Amino acid sequence: MYEAQRSLASPARNPRMATVIGRLLGAAFLVCFGTGLYSHFLQQPLPGMRFPTRPEFLYQFTEGTHIIAGIACFPLLLAKLYVVFPDLFAYPPVRSFVHLLERASIALFVGASLVQITIGLLNTYQWYPWPFPFRQVHFALAWVLIGSLALHIGIKLPIIARFWRKRTDYGPGTDHLTDAVPAERVAGTEAERLWGSSRSTGLTGRLIAYLDATPPAAEKVSRRGFLATVGVAVAAVVGLTAGQTFAPLDAVNAFGPRKKGVGQQGVPVNRTSKQANVTEAVIAGWVLTVTHGGVERSFTRPELERMPQTEVTLPIACVEGWSQMAAWRGVRLRDLADLVGAGADTSFKLVSLEERGSFRQTQMGPEYVRDPLTLVALELNGETLDLEHGYPARMIAPGRPGVLQTKWLSRIEAITA
Amino acid sequence: MNQVSTASVALTPERAAPGRGMRVARATLVLLGAAGLAWGAWVMVDTVRIARLPGVALWVGAAILVHDAVIAPLVFFGGVLLRRAGRRLAGTVVAVLQGAIVLGSIMTLIVVPEIVAQTQGRAPENPTVLPLDYGTNLAVFWVVIAVLGTAASAALYARASRAGRRRPL
Repeated sequence: MYEAQRSLASPARNPRMATVIGRLLGAAFLVCFGTGLYSHFLQQPLPGMRFPTRPEFLYQFTEGTHIIAGIACFPLLLAKLYVVFPDLFAYPPVRSFVHLLERASIALFVGASLVQITIGLLNTYQWYPWPFPFRQVHFALAWVLIGSLALHIGIKLPIIARFWRKRTDYGPGTDHLTDAVPAERVAGTEAERLWGSSRSTGLTGRLIAYLDATPPAAEKVSRRGFLATVGVAVAAVVGLTAGQTFAPLDAVNAFGPRKKGVGQQGVPVNRTSKQANVTEAVIAGWVLTVTHGGVERSFTRPELERMPQTEVTLPIACVEGWSQMAAWRGVRLRDLADLVGAGADTSFKLVSLEERGSFRQTQMGPEYVRDPLTLVALELNGETLDLEHGYPARMIAPGRPGVLQTKWLSRIEAITA
Repeated sequence: MNQVSTASVALTPERAAPGRGMRVARATLVLLGAAGLAWGAWVMVDTVRIARLPGVALWVGAAILVHDAVIAPLVFFGGVLLRRAGRRLAGTVVAVLQGAIVLGSIMTLIVVPEIVAQTQGRAPENPTVLPLDYGTNLAVFWVVIAVLGTAASAALYARASRAGRRRPL
């Protein structure tokens, strides 16, 4: 297998580069894992979990970061695989049972990483060409990846430690990756080694002679060029998509799946009224019902409009990573909670008019219910809420994912322990 | 206090390269990793219907195959071709061209599915999803790369030729 390894030799393929790129990729994985876990628990809190409601843009920030770090993983992961690719042809392929386990764990790590970032990306395009549920598999793979990452670092720790800092001499025995192919083997051409002359015979011979005749890459230029390419690629994929959440980059948002300001009343939507089967007929005779214990009060839209109105500026921040700042006007949820006598530590169940959907019914902890910025919104950007944004009324609360900002709000029920 | 500092010193890789700290750190990471893997496997079988699991395995396997058998060989032969075609050029010029092609390819890899998704997924039902003309934007991106890459190569080539004239072989 030496010939395969030698052909793949490149100055950028060395343990130091594997460590440098690996650190960045590992950091991106950890950022994705942390922000993903936060988003997961916001949507499926464990009993008794409470979340910060300030800063108001907290979820916009964490989820925007999740998607940005995820997209940065594309160049980083490809670069990492490029650097370590010759290891695929390690010889002998399996040295021991432990070595077999190690190689199997790396195969799983690589495959799961590629699938994870791919389905994550396609989810932001709302395209699901795979035979399994996205949310559950994305969550399970996250644990598989973070476990594989710890395992991988554990296995490679001596190499990582040796190549952590830049040095001129990394010491003897750097027998990792292709650069360590003994000098005497590299000295002659591969064809000479195999046939005693550089005369090419047959297809393989010609191919190897062709590869032999390829001029080697200049070391320093090649390494710097590689790092510069990775850096520019990360900057490009992030810079040209992040405008969907990070306003200063809106002008160069060429490839973001969403565009700020595109949508009814200048706000994108995740799910249209048609997709949710909410029609004019469904909202006819609408009232908002608020319950607590035996107390039940219903409000028509004009009744809600006559109550004290509050204006807030809060972002809609989607799990898919886009966000849009908007001005909302409506009734404070805590005023409605007070009207039915709910206490300060009461959680509520929010129910939408939509018939189906994972988020038809959601729960809201008291930290959001009592927050002065949490509204039952009736207006958006100075106009009556559009049907696409949840007319007759929707929830808007600080620091929550868009899927929990219930549209076409129908019932608000206190959860009594 | 004393214990903490001892531990942190022991975990510093350089000091502990062959020592006990390294062994402890490695064992801890391997155990934590195995636990994470086991938990992930449990979450998978617990939340995804059994009938769907072969699909997950298929995608993981196919992802490895697509990278190792398609992307990596393409990159390898692309690199060889470029180095041969550019054997009379300075290394820096080859590096710039290589970088430009890689950059464009990665962006294409991300944006082509986006163009496909405009007609495939839920986007056709929701005009606020994928609202941009990604095909045109990708073409513009390639043009910009080509222009910048050519300009940088020309500048590097000119510099290399001047240096070559000053120091004749």
